Amino acid sequence: MRLFPISEIPMQRRSRTGYWFTLPYFIFFGAFVAYPLLFSIVLLFHRWNVITPMEWVGLKNFERLLHDPLFFKAIWNTLRFLLIHIPLQIVVAIGFAVLLNSQIRFRGFFRAVYFLPVVVSGVVVTILWQQLYAFDSGLLNRMLTIIGISKVPWLIDPNVAMPSVAIMATWKNVGIYIILFLVGLQNIPHELYESASIDGATSARKFFRITLPMLNPTIVVVMVLSTIGGFSLFIEPYVLTGGGPMQSTLSAVLYIYNQAFYFGHMGYASTLGFVFALIILAVVLLQRKVIETEPTA
Amino acid sequence: MELSYASIGEEIRLREFGMIAYIVVLASLLILSQSGCSDRKSAGEPVGGKVIELTYWPAPNPQEVQVADTLVREWNRLHPNIHVKMQPIPVSQSTEEVLLAAIAGKTTPDVCSNIQPAALYDYSRAGGIIPLDRFPDFDSVALSRTPVSLLEQFKSDDGQYYQIPWKTNPVMMFYNIRMFEESGIHQVPRTYSEFFEAAKKLTRDLNGDGQIDVWAGERDIRPIWWQRLFDFYPFYVAASNGGTLFTAGTPDFDNHFAEAVFEFFRVCYQKNFFPHTYFQGGDPFLLEKKATHFSGPWEIATLRSLAPNVRYDIAPLPVPDDHTGPVYTYGDYKNISIFGTSKHPLEAWQFVKFLLQAKNDLMLLRITDQVPVRGDLLTNPIFSSYFTQNPKMVKFARQAVYTRSIGPAPDLKEILDAISQEYEACAVYGKITPERAVHDSFLRTKMIVEWNK
Repeated sequence: MRLFPISEIPMQRRSRTGYWFTLPYFIFFGAFVAYPLLFSIVLLFHRWNVITPMEWVGLKNFERLLHDPLFFKAIWNTLRFLLIHIPLQIVVAIGFAVLLNSQIRFRGFFRAVYFLPVVVSGVVVTILWQQLYAFDSGLLNRMLTIIGISKVPWLIDPNVAMPSVAIMATWKNVGIYIILFLVGLQNIPHELYESASIDGATSARKFFRITLPMLNPTIVVVMVLSTIGGFSLFIEPYVLTGGGPMQSTLSAVLYIYNQAFYFGHMGYASTLGFVFALIILAVVLLQRKVIETEPTA
Repeated sequence: MELSYASIGEEIRLREFGMIAYIVVLASLLILSQSGCSDRKSAGEPVGGKVIELTYWPAPNPQEVQVADTLVREWNRLHPNIHVKMQPIPVSQSTEEVLLAAIAGKTTPDVCSNIQPAALYDYSRAGGIIPLDRFPDFDSVALSRTPVSLLEQFKSDDGQYYQIPWKTNPVMMFYNIRMFEESGIHQVPRTYSEFFEAAKKLTRDLNGDGQIDVWAGERDIRPIWWQRLFDFYPFYVAASNGGTLFTAGTPDFDNHFAEAVFEFFRVCYQKNFFPHTYFQGGDPFLLEKKATHFSGPWEIATLRSLAPNVRYDIAPLPVPDDHTGPVYTYGDYKNISIFGTSKHPLEAWQFVKFLLQAKNDLMLLRITDQVPVRGDLLTNPIFSSYFTQNPKMVKFARQAVYTRSIGPAPDLKEILDAISQEYEACAVYGKITPERAVHDSFLRTKMIVEWNK
């Protein structure tokens, strides 16, 4: 069989062949990105319950949103979650990363174990924590009772429920951030620590003066990723609390889901989603602006 | 009498004229009946010599399917020209979803007997059902069976009836006779104060470990929308002497009756008459862990089969202390409608009238223990043997005439969810006052209704 050098194939035919190879991507993009996006924009101005035909409502969905305290409560709940979850996640992830970066026995085993919750289904993890958090029969409260501490209403007290969700979400996601921090730690030159040791620096001083500043770029990445991930909080409150008690764990995405699939308000849910996306965009832009003005190294 | 030929000839001519006139009238009637004036033709007349086919959707539960099957067989036997095909409503998350999907797809049956009055708003907005009072005998049929006070609640805002009431399940208070006797209570509580007095005695720590073992009552503490149909709403109907959440389609419950109901349940939780936990080990009324239970007549069959040793009786719901007059409650109504896709509405109406006959209502009672919406249940001799055999059902039959539906409203699920959220905050957790709970849920309901206009 004779092989033609590529230069012998006419230019026009070569280009067309190349486009055919991109077709699967365009089909995927069209079906799962472009079409839903355009459809959701159409929905902004309609009332539609999936079953009966769409009804044009103009800006009524936006008008309702402005008078919907539950949406603003859901946004506030999500921010509360982020305020607890992000610092907790960074502290725990750095702590474990430092430990796993040191010379300990079974280091590989522990690295795998801490990563395990990341790959386990979110629903499975949530059901597991539901058992742990149960007020009367949960393992956590039974242990507290044994050591003489009164039971904690993990999921049934409106003030405690969101921190409980944040603890669980941290446990679930921390593995991925441990890996990121491990990479960051291994990029810190050893000479810096050796030099600090010669100068008589303590371990704590080395951590705060060398490790943390050198990890700053990773902290930025973790913060941005956690913020975006935190805004999409859904599975944990959906399975764990259903948004209660007293809507204290109703996240923005859970509220959008409820409006769409529980009450059948596709148009209104689309409007909520659109406004929520704008809020996330604003927060991320703000975050980038604040972080990028600071020196990262 | 002597007859002359002339008079005989005159008589023959007159007879001939009469015969011709008779034929002309008959022919005219036949032409009229064939000219598309379908409501005027006599029901059951074959169209073009063909047998008319009707489809009937009853509720899909086994008891109602049994009733429907028997009735349809009887109808088909009596009406060979109008054949009814019975098909239980396709199983789905809810009947309302199935019917809305059928309306959208124009695949609705001719007749359905599982119409929830609250969902009628969506059905009529989707253009799926026809007014029944277009049939000239609607008033006589409806009023001969249902008292006017009950019937009028089903009149739509446009003044027409798109449904005819069929059966209801009044929510009443079941109470455990043994637990009442052991607590020294000899009179069933009728008012909130009497209920609280009884509840103090009924809520007890049986083994002295400092934990309450039996409660005066219990409600699911999770804010699930339909749970409000068994606490807030029936109590509101009772407190307000038959008031409902809407007046002419507008929310109308920001009042002291609703506040009194929220306050009643708030006290029940605050004083630990009701537990703050969700029972996972089964129905606490069947297990004799709670002394009262708010439910409908279906509970009788449940108690009969699962807890035959529990001694119980039934009473009207407690009402505010200053209440006067009869005690109303929520009746979980299921009505009958004819859909717009029906090609034979007149025949469908004939079938509806057949379903509403007294002997068929008796069958409904016997098989399902659900109460037909009739004013003569306790006076018509046809039902007397049933009530003699089922004396507890007499309470529900008496209550049936003092029931209210939940008016047609858009997004009832979300409205009841809004009330549930406030119920949880006010009653279960005691974090907000009844006034605020009622006002907040009212504002949200208003917003939902406005958005749907």
